[in-house]
Order: sequence, then C-alpha cells, then structure tokens
Amino acid sequence: MTIFISGGGKSGKSAFAQRAALSLSGGGARYYVATMIPCDKEDRERIARHVADRAGMGFVTLELGRNIEKCLDLADPGGTFLVDSVTALLLNEMYPGDHGGDADPDALRRCVDGLLRVAEGAGNAVFVSDYIYSDAIRYDAFTEKYRADLSAIDRALAGACDTVIELCAGNVIVHKGVWEG
Amino acid sequence: MDFIIGGAYQGKREYAKDRFRLTESDIFTCREDGDIDFSARCIDALEEYALRCVRNGVDPVESFRAHENEWRESVLICMDIFCGVVPLGEENRAWREATGRLCAYLAGKADTVTRMFCGLPVRLK
Repeated sequence: MTIFISGGGKSGKSAFAQRAALSLSGGGARYYVATMIPCDKEDRERIARHVADRAGMGFVTLELGRNIEKCLDLADPGGTFLVDSVTALLLNEMYPGDHGGDADPDALRRCVDGLLRVAEGAGNAVFVSDYIYSDAIRYDAFTEKYRADLSAIDRALAGACDTVIELCAGNVIVHKGVWEG
Repeated sequence: MDFIIGGAYQGKREYAKDRFRLTESDIFTCREDGDIDFSARCIDALEEYALRCVRNGVDPVESFRAHENEWRESVLICMDIFCGVVPLGEENRAWREATGRLCAYLAGKADTVTRMFCGLPVRLK
C-alpha cells in the first residue's frame, strides 16, 4: 500500500506517518528514509527530536538526501519505507552545491521519477510533503519555482498513491482511498 | 454557478476544464493590471481581480453583485490565499480581506463549491 500525506506545518504529519508505516509493516522490515541534510545546529536539533520520537518503533534509518530510489537497493525492497520529507528532497536536488548556486533544472524530473519508483517498487511506502500553497505573499522567482515544482511532485504522488491524507491539527482528512487507523 | 477554490498549483484550472468540458478559449484569466470579462464561461484567478479592485478603491463583492446576470451560469475559480500569517503591507492585508469576502459571497451564491488539494477535488457544497 502507498500513502501520500500533506498538510500545514506542525499538523502532525510526521507522527501520523510513523504510526501509519508501523501499522502497514506488520512484522516486516520498516525503513525511515531521512532526506534532510543538516546545515546547522538548528537542523541537528530537529533531527535529534525526530530520532527520539521514533525510538523504539523499530525503524532502520536510511539517510538519502538525493537519488531517493536508492533506498530500494540499500534495504529489503519488500519492506515498508517512510520518506520524510519530499520537501527536503526537492530542495537538495535543486541545489546540489552546499551553498546556493543555480537551481538544477532537472531536479523536478529526478524527484518525480525516483519517488514513483519507490511507490512502485516498495512493499509499502509512505510519503510526507508540506502544504505551502495558501498564503497571500508574492514570492520571488526562486521560491515560486520551488513551490511550483513541489506541487508538481505532490500531484504526481497523490495521483499514484492508493491513499491521500491531509493532516489538520493532528486530525486525518482522507482525500483518496481508505484509511482505517 | 460552480465555484472552485484551492491553493496555488493545486490543479483548479485543469479540474474545471475536465469537469465542465471547457477549452482554454472558454476561460478568462484575471490579471492585476487588466479588466474582467464577467460574461466568460469560466473566470480564473479572481484573487488578481480582487487585487485590482483594492488598488482602484472598488468593492469586488459589489462589482460581482452588479453583474450577477452575466456569471450565474459560470465556473468561477479563486486561489486560497488565506492560510498564512496576516501579511505585513497594508495593500496585502486589504487584498486578502477583499478576496476572502468575495469568496464567501460567491460560495454562498454557488450551486457547487469544490476545493482542490494536490490535484484531488473535495466537494464542500
């Protein structure tokens, strides 16, 4: 089964995604595919919080900031993969240099291809993205391009996944498929 | 009238074309610096029209009310710009307010209201 999860910030997406992956995996292998490449102290603290949150849930952590499809080669592809998050993956693929530079024009294609391969090839897969599309701000061209590309990934995953869920203050809104949990 | 709302890039226009069998030539797209065609089969980007109204000191709800005969069978599309922090600039606040009041008015008048989320429609009314 494949699940796509989005929603606003701090809406409980990661916590729900972990519970969903745990439930889907049954007794099978479960992998947490961590996409964030830490840049500073704040990132490292954030990652430490996420690691503590999932302690005891039996996830093997795979750190993949780019080329997400490689998670299938690094693990038992029949297992359950939680990719958190699509948002960080796109950022890493767009800016392969550590500090700025031009956005890679091929980043969107690589993300969509890689994520769809995970959706097709994994025993179960859960993807977490961020809903960043409903504010009244005129963004600069770089940010607008990032929003457009992230939304294209979201729509591709929402189309391909069995179940699509929006989180709102920890509550589950099912947009596609079924979820009983 | 059928009203479609959703955030940026959520597939509003594609959904309208698909559900109501519209072509690009049926759709009028509002711009902050252009006029509106109330008689179009489908009017997209109402948030841009609301911004133009704010700049011209016009109330977009009054303006729509005055042309109700022209759009009562139409498909109207607006971007959801309401979930961020209250914006800093005065014009941006007025824009968000005017767009929000327009959406509430049109949703009240609509036969159907659909919200788009990641390309998927959610029927609200």
